[in-house]
Amino acid sequence: MNGHPLLEARGVTVRFGGLTAVDGVSAAFAPGELVGIIGPNGAGKTTFFNALSGVVAPTAGELFAAGQRLTGAAPHRFAQQGIARTFQTPRVFAALSVAANIDFGLQFAGRRRTASWLLKDAASILNLIGLSAQTALPAAAVTPSQQRLLEIGMALATRPKLLLLDEVAAGLTENEIEAMALLIRRLRDELDLTVIWIEHAVTTLLRHVERVLVLHQGRKIADGLPSEVVRNAEVIEAYLGDEMVDTV
Amino acid sequence: MTKDFLILFGLTGWALAVPHYGSEFAVSLALTCLMYTALSSSWSLFCGSTRYLSLATSAFFGIGAYTSALVLEGAGWFAAIGLGALIAAGVAAVMGAAVLHLRGTYFAVLTFGMTELIHHAVTTWEKQVTGTVGRVLTVVPERDTIYLTVLGLAVLAIATSILVRRSRFGLAMAGIGADEQRAQTLGVNTRLVKIGGFALIAAFAGGVGAAMSVRWTYIDPATVFNPFIGFQTVLIALIGGAATLWGPLIAAVVFSLLAETLRLQAPQIYMMSLGLLLILCVLYLPGGLASWRWPAAWRLR
Repeated sequence: MNGHPLLEARGVTVRFGGLTAVDGVSAAFAPGELVGIIGPNGAGKTTFFNALSGVVAPTAGELFAAGQRLTGAAPHRFAQQGIARTFQTPRVFAALSVAANIDFGLQFAGRRRTASWLLKDAASILNLIGLSAQTALPAAAVTPSQQRLLEIGMALATRPKLLLLDEVAAGLTENEIEAMALLIRRLRDELDLTVIWIEHAVTTLLRHVERVLVLHQGRKIADGLPSEVVRNAEVIEAYLGDEMVDTV
Repeated sequence: MTKDFLILFGLTGWALAVPHYGSEFAVSLALTCLMYTALSSSWSLFCGSTRYLSLATSAFFGIGAYTSALVLEGAGWFAAIGLGALIAAGVAAVMGAAVLHLRGTYFAVLTFGMTELIHHAVTTWEKQVTGTVGRVLTVVPERDTIYLTVLGLAVLAIATSILVRRSRFGLAMAGIGADEQRAQTLGVNTRLVKIGGFALIAAFAGGVGAAMSVRWTYIDPATVFNPFIGFQTVLIALIGGAATLWGPLIAAVVFSLLAETLRLQAPQIYMMSLGLLLILCVLYLPGGLASWRWPAAWRLR
């Protein structure tokens, strides 16, 4: 990995008119890390993801993937560099079949990338995310929780090095959230993926990640081990309250 | 795919026979059919899949027609067609680079605006610099040569559509039509795909314009840059089904029959029936004529 972090943000700022959604956030992500991002609504988590995936160009600051400057590049360049993402509201190709949705990524960013056997083809990815039985159904016809899995499958089809997951557990039942967390662990453990995971289900998230970033009003107010972050005075004040200390 | 090519093969054979057996009127009618088949099939290839509604067909048609008028005498028939297609594609690439980041109404209005801009730029140039209003084409190929060329372009447009639908390029365009940003994050260079697709369909419009200009023997900017050529192309594609392969062809035939039979005797009825057809399609067949399915009870067992 030529000594560079897989993905690095340096002082990334995103402004929409007068509103500063992300305010000078710096963070580096190393290969194989499982990182959580938490923060209250409107803290700039999704906007930060949009910047990390090229969907929004930062107003100021720089982005590097494995040492290569990507600031201002189009999203397909980020995908080609092995940065994949999901969207908060699943954005599957509704008219295409579940299998064709997976195939899309394989045809573009995932093409010509070396793949582990788990991401060998559409069938192996469908098997990994547990949608083998829904292969032929149109994506519009599967349940919302299956669409969330499909959204992850589409991102995996680009055969990424780093996966940005934006609230993939939102709206899921207790059991489904736990299953999702196990799937995410599996992606990191078996595929050596770096995973950055935004989630409102903080308790679940803190139990599974090794490092957590806290955003508040666009700024990064904490970055460290979950056990440290829940004891951070500013984090308790801004977001978590003090009852979280016991969960980690 | 094989089935589509077989249908295309059969239709081509049928169209080839027209100049041998048909009357002058039948050939002229078939030529109109083929012209609009080529224009709306190629239009659908890009605009139907990406959902970028272009009104610039008449700009590329006109550019092709003028190229042909300028170079036909010196360069010959096929060079004139090829050059017409090439220049139209070049203009489309520049135009596309400027406006293809816009979507929906903005894109449609801007392509229309640029068409008018090109139209009036050519008019001004002809008046101020060349000192003419129109151009008379003196060296004109045989009627059958024109017919076969336009037939060739129509067949090529449909064959290209069949192949593109099965290609990564076609998949990329479909992805852009469904959710452009999602396609980008999955690795599609959407800018390149859009400019490429736009230039490809402009090449067809330019080629058709180059071939049709000689049929008229006299061209002026108002005829070849007529915005109605662009509107009719869009209308045919939408009535037939812009997302389908054969829809534009079906509608082009219906439209040309209506046009040739009604336009001269009853122009009002012609426009009314066209409007009625569009309304009926939008209301009851939003996927176009090609999405029509016979009710089960009517089907043969």
